[in-house]
Amino acid sequence: MNGPLSYNAFYAFMTITTGGVSAVWFAFDLRNLLRVRALDGGDPVIRDRKFGYSIGLVIATIGMLGSAKFWL
Amino acid sequence: MVAAGETLPAPVAPAAPRVVSPWNPANAVTASRFLTLPLFYYAVAHGYHQWATFCMLGCGLLDKLDGLVARIFNCKSAFGELFDAIADATCYGFGLIVVAAFGWAPVIPVVGVITLGAVNTVMRAIYVKRAGRTTNYKSYAMERLVAYTGYLIGFATGGFQVTFFYWLFLPVMATILAYDTKRMLVDPIPEAA
Repeated sequence: MNGPLSYNAFYAFMTITTGGVSAVWFAFDLRNLLRVRALDGGDPVIRDRKFGYSIGLVIATIGMLGSAKFWL
Repeated sequence: MVAAGETLPAPVAPAAPRVVSPWNPANAVTASRFLTLPLFYYAVAHGYHQWATFCMLGCGLLDKLDGLVARIFNCKSAFGELFDAIADATCYGFGLIVVAAFGWAPVIPVVGVITLGAVNTVMRAIYVKRAGRTTNYKSYAMERLVAYTGYLIGFATGGFQVTFFYWLFLPVMATILAYDTKRMLVDPIPEAA
């Protein structure tokens, strides 16, 4: 692999920018989802936020699983 | 009642909406994302996997930076939001086509992503027509998916679990598109802020 980083350093970088960011993102969207959980689900904006945060949790989980899968 | 000799307070005129020029720092940052594309293409064409990844990372970071610049310079506008969405579609669409063309990403998921993206663009155009003004449809789920799309290109250039991430992207995108289609085509449009 031609570039400024060694093979291991590059994939450590990829893992941090994917798995690490996904973990932070998961925590962030989980907190957001818990905050809006009690709000009125009939309001389209609130409903959109709940859906968006739930999708955020799914995407973050995919990111963490993919990063872990690389090293297993 | 107003007593004799008293004057009524002058009526307060409603504040005129603030006009923001499209030539502002936030849009300049958004436009600068296009500068990463020739570099990205050069890196992919010459097999520089790491540099191609860093180019796409730069493009993604500029995407995050334009919102910050808009807040700092107070130049947020409907046009800026729309321009940001256009820049996302252009940069990430170009990136996906390039990695698929050079065999760094599986073609079928890339075609699926671009097709669903095109459908979403048509829906947004219909939404703008329904609204009768320049507006960007805000979707929390789509914002997250756009970030995932940027990552998809990085996974291809870095050779990082490409099959896993590409094939899982499709059902997530289809779910979001189904949800957003209802909101854009059926649900009432919120008033302009």
